[in-house]
Amino acid sequence: MPADPELKSKIEELIGANPVLLFMKGTPEMPRCGFSMRVVQVLDQMNVEYGAIDVLPALQPLREVTTEIADWQTFPQLYVNGALLGGADIVEEMFESGELAEALGVEQPEVASPAQSGATSANGDVQQSPPLQIE
Amino acid sequence: MVDLAELKTMIEVALPGAEVEISDEDGGGQHLRADVCAAQFEGLSRIDQHRLVKAAVKERFDDGQIHALSVKTRVPE
Repeated sequence: MPADPELKSKIEELIGANPVLLFMKGTPEMPRCGFSMRVVQVLDQMNVEYGAIDVLPALQPLREVTTEIADWQTFPQLYVNGALLGGADIVEEMFESGELAEALGVEQPEVASPAQSGATSANGDVQQSPPLQIE
Repeated sequence: MVDLAELKTMIEVALPGAEVEISDEDGGGQHLRADVCAAQFEGLSRIDQHRLVKAAVKERFDDGQIHALSVKTRVPE
């Protein structure tokens, strides 16, 4: 099914306005899927500000949108500087290799282990945007 | 139940010369994993490498035989 053009332009706007944007199931505080949680755990170690969109309230319409804009159907999806970087597998792999820090333009954290942090950040000064709402 | 050998063949046909390994991580076909080593990945971003693998097995996603496929890609040394 083609994506809803209104939702699609709204999403494109959000991707353009947020240099680091995560589409996930649940919220960073309460991920509702293990894959989304893994990406949140990685981002929380990166000392980077990011926006998060909970896809669950509009899963199918958002799937149609991301299929059209990025040829990708599954969530989580991490967009960096307007382009899809990847889902949980790619984000973790790039985190471990240091490529993620490079893509985000931050220093690689000293302890490189995605399992090391809990759902809340181990690093007190991580700034995190509140989840964005989709109407 | 999804046919793992068929998935392997689909990827090998899409990426001739690739080394492909498919594993069923929980034995129930719900958590499949594909390890793919292909020269075609050279110079591509990871997301594009994954797109090639997902595209190769798209039919099995579309017909609902697979729901989740974890992908690991590698360029041959």
